Amino acid sequence: MFNPIPHKIEGNTFWISQERCLYWEDQNALILADMHLGKAGHFRSKGVSVPQKAGVADLQRLIAQLFLFKADRVIIVGDFTHSVYNKELSLFNKWRHDFPLFQFDLIRGNHDILEDHWYVETQIQIHKKELRIDNFCFRHEFMEDDPLKDTRDSAFVFSGHVHPAIRMSGKGRQTISLPCFYFTEKHCILPAFSKFTGMYKVQPKQGDIVYAITDNEIIRKT
Amino acid sequence: MKNSSGLNETLKWLRQTNRSAFKFQIETWQHIYNNESGLVNAPTGCGKTYSVFLGSIIKFINNNPADFQTICNSGLQVLWVTPLRALATDIARAMEEVIEGIGLKWKVGIRNGDTSISERKRQKSQMPEVLIITPESLHLLLAQKGSLYFFTNLSVLVVDEWHALLGSKRGVQVELAISRILGNVKVNNKICIWGLSATIGNLTEAKSVLLKPTGRNGEIVKANMEKQVEIISVFPDEIENFPWSGHLGLNLVSKIIPIIKKYRTTLVFINTRGMAEVWYQALLNHCPDLAGVIALHHGSIDSELRSWIEENLNSGSLKVVVCTSSLDLGVDFRPVETVIQVGSPKGVARFLQRAGRSGHQPDAVSRIYFLPTHSLELLEAAALKAAISENMMESREPKLMCFDVLIQYLNTLAVGDGFIPDLVFEEVKSTFSFGEITRQEFDDVIYFISQGGKAFQEYDAFRKVEKEGELYKINSRKIAMRHLLHIGTIVSDSMLKVKLISGGYVGVIEEYFISRLEPGDVFSLAGFHLEYVMIKEMTVLVRKSKIKKAKVPSWNGGRMSLSANLGKVLRHQLNLVTDVKSVLSEELKILSPLFEIQKQLSHVPNENELLIEHIETKDGFHLFVYPFEGRLVHEAMAAILAFRISRIRPITFSLAMNDYGFELLSDQPIPVDDTNIYELFSLKNLLNDIQRSVNSSEMARRKFRDIAVIGGLIFQGMPGEKKKARHLQASASLLFNVLSEYDSGHLLLRQAFSEVMEQQMEEQRLREMLERVQQSKIIITYPAKLTPFCFPIKVDSMREDLSSEKLEDRVRKMQVELGA
Repeated sequence: MFNPIPHKIEGNTFWISQERCLYWEDQNALILADMHLGKAGHFRSKGVSVPQKAGVADLQRLIAQLFLFKADRVIIVGDFTHSVYNKELSLFNKWRHDFPLFQFDLIRGNHDILEDHWYVETQIQIHKKELRIDNFCFRHEFMEDDPLKDTRDSAFVFSGHVHPAIRMSGKGRQTISLPCFYFTEKHCILPAFSKFTGMYKVQPKQGDIVYAITDNEIIRKT
Repeated sequence: MKNSSGLNETLKWLRQTNRSAFKFQIETWQHIYNNESGLVNAPTGCGKTYSVFLGSIIKFINNNPADFQTICNSGLQVLWVTPLRALATDIARAMEEVIEGIGLKWKVGIRNGDTSISERKRQKSQMPEVLIITPESLHLLLAQKGSLYFFTNLSVLVVDEWHALLGSKRGVQVELAISRILGNVKVNNKICIWGLSATIGNLTEAKSVLLKPTGRNGEIVKANMEKQVEIISVFPDEIENFPWSGHLGLNLVSKIIPIIKKYRTTLVFINTRGMAEVWYQALLNHCPDLAGVIALHHGSIDSELRSWIEENLNSGSLKVVVCTSSLDLGVDFRPVETVIQVGSPKGVARFLQRAGRSGHQPDAVSRIYFLPTHSLELLEAAALKAAISENMMESREPKLMCFDVLIQYLNTLAVGDGFIPDLVFEEVKSTFSFGEITRQEFDDVIYFISQGGKAFQEYDAFRKVEKEGELYKINSRKIAMRHLLHIGTIVSDSMLKVKLISGGYVGVIEEYFISRLEPGDVFSLAGFHLEYVMIKEMTVLVRKSKIKKAKVPSWNGGRMSLSANLGKVLRHQLNLVTDVKSVLSEELKILSPLFEIQKQLSHVPNENELLIEHIETKDGFHLFVYPFEGRLVHEAMAAILAFRISRIRPITFSLAMNDYGFELLSDQPIPVDDTNIYELFSLKNLLNDIQRSVNSSEMARRKFRDIAVIGGLIFQGMPGEKKKARHLQASASLLFNVLSEYDSGHLLLRQAFSEVMEQQMEEQRLREMLERVQQSKIIITYPAKLTPFCFPIKVDSMREDLSSEKLEDRVRKMQVELGA
């Protein structure tokens, strides 16, 4: 596995992991977006036979990242689950039961539609609109034209929702699209943690920083 | 058969209507009389419908000599499978005329996507004696509970336009349906199976495929009534000023206006839907008089509008119709006197088929004009003429082992009465397509639809086909509904309906195209200029616009590849060019200045040579190769060549190809010269190299889309359930990734790769080409600038990447170039 790359924001260090998540050193927390847990199971329950492994693998990756960074908190900026309850989610219940000490924070995304008791059972703290820690704000969706009216304007926002990807092109009209972390001066959009998700191509502006993820490394592009 | 009452009644009717029986028709009647199956080979409009249909009637009368005129509700006697909905009403009309004339109490029913629910219900309670049906609807019929009962009295099963179905997955659907019917209807009721086919290169094979489940050899009945065809090339005034590349041919618009004016009705065949839109506008601009008597017909135009056009073609109120392959098949339009083909028809058979759409009066000559879109295409005109005079028709290769179709079919049976694997296995194995299937493979399919592949059962919610005792069934109504809606889904990128704000559908358009438009942008569809207003619930709302300039939609529809047949004739034509003694056809004479330039810059290869050009431009280093084997073989060869070169040294290429040759483009010099050239085109390790280059290219991924849709992995949404369905949507590309990563032995994934081998790579043809290259002289030239041969390839934008470099290296290199 490739070593994480540090990215500094306001004196805090965020390690960019090639497994599509961030490790926030100062808070000992893992930040991720769009896990879409149970997506494969949802397909399967409707008779579409996506390999079950597609969903299970994401969960295994999450657990591996938690242990790798020895984090004790997980902040999920929305869409932790994909749809209504299906058996695949009980795999998470089981794991959660064995490791109850991590703190889970979930900013509710448009896909997080499970009934409240599931979140209680799995000890996931739900935040309806946003979560704030120091000068950092966590939201599901970042909207440029809907800035943080309600509080200090200076907060740095982490969000997900769009599943950003960057298109790289070279000579001979070659192009490839890679999932990426997309940093502007005031916010960061995380890639979808799940590998069973589509992508949306972003167009970086001048001054933005993009970390593209390949199979085994991270490429910084400014 | 002689003196049988059936024959007498039939002949009486023919006499009354001033008709006489053709020899091939009588021959067919005799075979049906003998309970024999077979294939009738006749061009359209020669009475092949009567050959089989009257045969069925003769059989019926002979079985019921006393009461044939009074007996009602005899159950389904004739099942008539046709690939085209549009044909159904006309066939039905012709049949009803016979039925009435002879005085039978038969009813003719039509069943396809347009049939109303109430009509279907009526059919269910009392089947008409004749049912005209599409392959998809036949499968839907099999999905009804108790459906096999419908076929108890079936006497003749006819597959119309079998040449068009053969070689497609719809053909496999027909094979499976036949195996089901034959396998379940009592033996004492002999069902005759008859195919109707135009001339193709492999008629005998076509017959064997169709009749395989009957276990009989069957008969071929030939009409021998091929029509005279006149081929006329439309020449540019000066070949020097005619473009070397292009695909529209618009600069010759003015040349065809006089042709259109001269004849009663003209069909203009264009290869793609987008180009057809452009041509329609261009004709109108050039000749405003045509307004009102010109129409545009292609697959993305609303079906109501299309039937309106077809009716008006029939009545002769249209002067010209710009169309795509949408009018290749189907009913004959009598007023059509001439046909214009714009650009390469890609194959001899298709060209003839199109020519045959004109000149329907007995003994009339079919007239077709060939309009080249760039200079080299004139060479094709010469080749077509040569091929037709030698009657060189293409074969249609039947599709083998289509697991996606099998999965769909088994689900269909599970929705209906359910199935018992042991019995269905025998039926499936009796078809030509699945003749080689092993029990293991069949069980894998069953496992796939019932268990959804490997899973931890306790955490799995997979539900589709369920086992009840011996029977496999689909019990969930929702899953059944979803499956039924899925049968016959036209495989396409997400298509959106286009609707006028004021009401009325115009057609469909690719989501990809609309996503690039801003509200207010104007595009053309169905010949209208439409202003894009907004998207609402999978429908694009538009209003008509007066703005003259409009964007032309692109449909990522299939680009056809030159047939092997035509390629061969093309190469032979080049011989004539290089040989000073040969007598040149008109086309080749006109082209001679172009060949002169080619000769000066590089070389004109004869059929025993392979030309390779190294050219350096500001884009990079190009390698052009000209095997004249068609786009598909070139695509494969380009990938293999790129792979083999990259083993000499890590190098990345972008590939481009057309029907004449292909190009490798790189940012570094390409290490190909006469020391290694024969080795690069060697047959050694071909299979291995194909597999490795296919892996690195995107071919399998592209094939996978159709397969995933047919196999039920992609759900395109249900009416009224749009929003919920979104949780069930994943792109084919994403599924491809997921399957490759977590279930690489997956049935459908394997099929994608084998389809790439057989169809995309045309492996057999590729081998033959390499053998030919090994025997021929390879000529490498270093032209100082782009040549007439390479120019059309260079400007072709359909490219794909092939790389041996690691992804990371590639990305890094791109970054360096971008200055990041």
